[in-house]
Amino acid sequence: MKNTNPPQLLLRFFRWFCDPYMAEHLEGDLLERFEKRQLERGSAKAKFLFAKDVLLLLRPGIVRSFKGYQKLNYYDMFKHNLIITLRSFVRHKSSFIINLLGLTTGLACVLLIYLWVNDELLVDGFHENKESLYHIMSNHTDASGTFTIKGTPGLLHEEIKTQVPEVQWAAVYTDPHEYTVSVSGSTPLSLKVQGRFANQEYLSAFSFPLKAGQSQSLLSTNYDALITESLAERLFPNQDALGQTIEWHFRGSKTEFKVSGVLENIPQNSSEQFELILPWNYFHDELITYKQWGNYYARQSVVIGPGSSAEVVGQKIDAIFKANLPDTRVELFLSPYTDLYLHGKFINGEQAGGRIESVRLLSFIALLILLIACINFINLTTARASQRMKEVGVKKSLGATRQSLAYQFLTESVLLCALATLLAFLLVFLLLPEFNHITQKNIRLVFSPQLLVAATVLLLVVGLLAGSYPALHLSRLKALLILKGFKATNNSSGIGRKALVVFQFALSTVLIVSVVVIFRQMELVQTKNLGYDRNNLIYFEREGQLTDQYEAFLAELKNLPGVENAAVSGFMVGGMNSTGGVGWKGKTDEDQIQFWEYNAGINSVELLGVEFLKGRGFSEEFKTNENGVIFNETAIKAMGMEDPIGKTVYHYTGQKQIVGVVKDFSIASIHKPAEPALFLYRPESTHFIMARINGEQTSTTLQQIEKLYSQFNPEFPFKPIFVDQDYQALYASEQRMAVLSRYSAILAILISCLGLFGLTAYTTEKRVKEISIRKVLGSGVWRIIVLLTGQFSILVGLGIIIALPLSYWAAQQWLSDFAYQIELKWWFFALAGLGTLLLAWLTVFGQTFKAARVNPATNLRNE
Amino acid sequence: MGKHHLGEFEEIVMLTVAILKEEAYGVSIIEEMETRLNRSVSMGALQTVLKRLEGKGYLESELKGATKIRGGKRKRYFTLTSLGKSVLKETKEQRLGLWNAIPDFA
Repeated sequence: MKNTNPPQLLLRFFRWFCDPYMAEHLEGDLLERFEKRQLERGSAKAKFLFAKDVLLLLRPGIVRSFKGYQKLNYYDMFKHNLIITLRSFVRHKSSFIINLLGLTTGLACVLLIYLWVNDELLVDGFHENKESLYHIMSNHTDASGTFTIKGTPGLLHEEIKTQVPEVQWAAVYTDPHEYTVSVSGSTPLSLKVQGRFANQEYLSAFSFPLKAGQSQSLLSTNYDALITESLAERLFPNQDALGQTIEWHFRGSKTEFKVSGVLENIPQNSSEQFELILPWNYFHDELITYKQWGNYYARQSVVIGPGSSAEVVGQKIDAIFKANLPDTRVELFLSPYTDLYLHGKFINGEQAGGRIESVRLLSFIALLILLIACINFINLTTARASQRMKEVGVKKSLGATRQSLAYQFLTESVLLCALATLLAFLLVFLLLPEFNHITQKNIRLVFSPQLLVAATVLLLVVGLLAGSYPALHLSRLKALLILKGFKATNNSSGIGRKALVVFQFALSTVLIVSVVVIFRQMELVQTKNLGYDRNNLIYFEREGQLTDQYEAFLAELKNLPGVENAAVSGFMVGGMNSTGGVGWKGKTDEDQIQFWEYNAGINSVELLGVEFLKGRGFSEEFKTNENGVIFNETAIKAMGMEDPIGKTVYHYTGQKQIVGVVKDFSIASIHKPAEPALFLYRPESTHFIMARINGEQTSTTLQQIEKLYSQFNPEFPFKPIFVDQDYQALYASEQRMAVLSRYSAILAILISCLGLFGLTAYTTEKRVKEISIRKVLGSGVWRIIVLLTGQFSILVGLGIIIALPLSYWAAQQWLSDFAYQIELKWWFFALAGLGTLLLAWLTVFGQTFKAARVNPATNLRNE
Repeated sequence: MGKHHLGEFEEIVMLTVAILKEEAYGVSIIEEMETRLNRSVSMGALQTVLKRLEGKGYLESELKGATKIRGGKRKRYFTLTSLGKSVLKETKEQRLGLWNAIPDFA
């Protein structure tokens, strides 16, 4: 009989799973049985039974505990590393705190920017049709160039429906506007509500889901209304809003609408916020008197069917438009709707960025800050590591392997990173309310899996990178060399470290300059003479009784002690209506001028405080107001009129006579130079009552106005608005920029100084013997300070020199967007440079002073 | 001593170890049980019980006697501890007590 061996694979398997305590005798038993069986019953049977034995040994009491067995080793190692790490944190408190602080602020900043960018990118992303949803935009070309608006002629809508089959849904609507809405009944109530007009397809094109109501019958009559859940709750608390009647006030009229549906609240990340939808047909039938193809009062979006190209549909729509308005220089085109929020800026008819620029800029800044914080961290860890060479030497001589030393350093840096990440999250949590306030957002810290994975990857990458130098380099050194007093030479990383200081301070200087420039420019914006006096000027909607009885109201208003003057007015900061429908003698086809158009009444223009160059305003002494028009300087120049007073122009509402010319005043934005504007005498069409009040007792005056107001309009809420507030709102994004630049500059300086601080600590400690010898040889404290500081000053100085031209260029870029700019003065840059240098000196001073004061004996005693 | 309760298989294993005296190790215990009781026992089942009994302190074990067979592996010899012996005795008395209490057993 052949003597064979038991199956080796099974034996190896047994050795692998068996508890080491039983492994030897069990293997012996197995083999013994195998040998016996082989003799008695043959190899094949023995092998089979061997396999059975082995498999039956696979039971809880015999299989080794994998977890416990491995944990034993690794856990202890990990615990040891952890303890060593914590001890070294405690021992090197300052570098620990610097590292932690730098990394935490950096990470917190990155996290905040990440949240903001994420939020920006998600705006309007909830529309289900977003891939095929397009907005119809119009390009208007005149002598000054092309500008792009969202408005289109309302007449276009029906034509699209009938002539463009590719269009699946055609939404037509207006911009949200604040209206007064009231309910009568047992508890009368009136509210100011953001509302818009829209057609039924609006709800198919956009994703604003219905909470209650029949989706087929929405807005089917001219007197249906849709309200959001929150408005329903406010108007009809604890009642079913469906079928209820709301009253909508427009000027003097009151119209009843029936609530035929309740919408879910508009999501926070919708670019347009509103609470009320009224039927487009009502708006178009009842409110638009001039239904013309040259009147751009409608907003239109289309969802195009699968397989059709937006370009073709756009061309078709433009063709329809051109067929109806042959000589136009306006062009219609489609632009993806969801892009408009981030890419809303058009230059010469081409999409040219918009908010996406801030998104990109901030993402870049976040990366930069992260990079600096990381490099700082790596640098400091590296610098510290060479101080721990003795520790490495001792460990190595006691038998530590290279691997275990590497693990130790990596554990240390990853742990610090993890701590910083946790603190950063905490910091973000604390700062978020303030951040939301500045950015006008409602961001919450949601621990999405995406965010957690990103944070973990980030902390691992930074931790491993930072720990890599000591882990790879120090662990390689020979124990003997280290213990004999060999000093690690860091010449190669020394250059990197210096470059970092230069880079950081260059960045800080650029940021300081930008803070100064932005601050000065905003000051200019605040104090700029706009051509009208925006201070103490209030206005409020002219509705209810004020529509007809405005003259009586104005007479009483002017009699109030705090009110200096009052008038009806159609003026609005940022402009409102714009028209190309003005003709004059000698107008050629080339002269397509877009005018900002304001309705005015008696005294309206004077009330604004605009200066008259020629002629007069609309005043009671003259009876010829009826057909009067007032232009601004730029408009007259654009029309090429020599002696404008008394000349006739052809407005789309009829023939008008020029009665006055005013100096240019700021209209849409100070990013744009003066634009043509006109005031029409149409008191009945003015939207507002405007009053200039005495600035001394504003609140009393306002109370008195409210009292008077409620005599005329008892059921309307009184909501006065200061023109100045509107003006400020126009620059909200710039103001935000100012605040953000201030914060980022502070942050950059903080991180740079931390980096410098750590570096000084390291260098002075390395040169402590040199300093002591110098002192023994008679060097004074100040000379040593100068010596130590000089080295850093060169680096910081270099950074400043690099930064100045850069910051000059950046400032000019930013300012070129404004029509009125501050001059870039030399002292902006001098201030930034000196400030940076001073800060650097202050940072270094504490350390160098301490180093220079030390008693040489303590350092030279042990050698 | 109610807490020292032996299971049926545990009792048999301990008795077999006692029978084999100095020669009780894995294979011999299995073979003894097979011949005496005509009962086939897997190594896995036996080893878990041996381990458990050793853990309870009823058995003790020692590795010894490396030979050329068995791949040169030593055997683990099991012997009863005095605690083990007294537990066995107690179990026997309990059984006997029960037997004696039966009034009439055909």
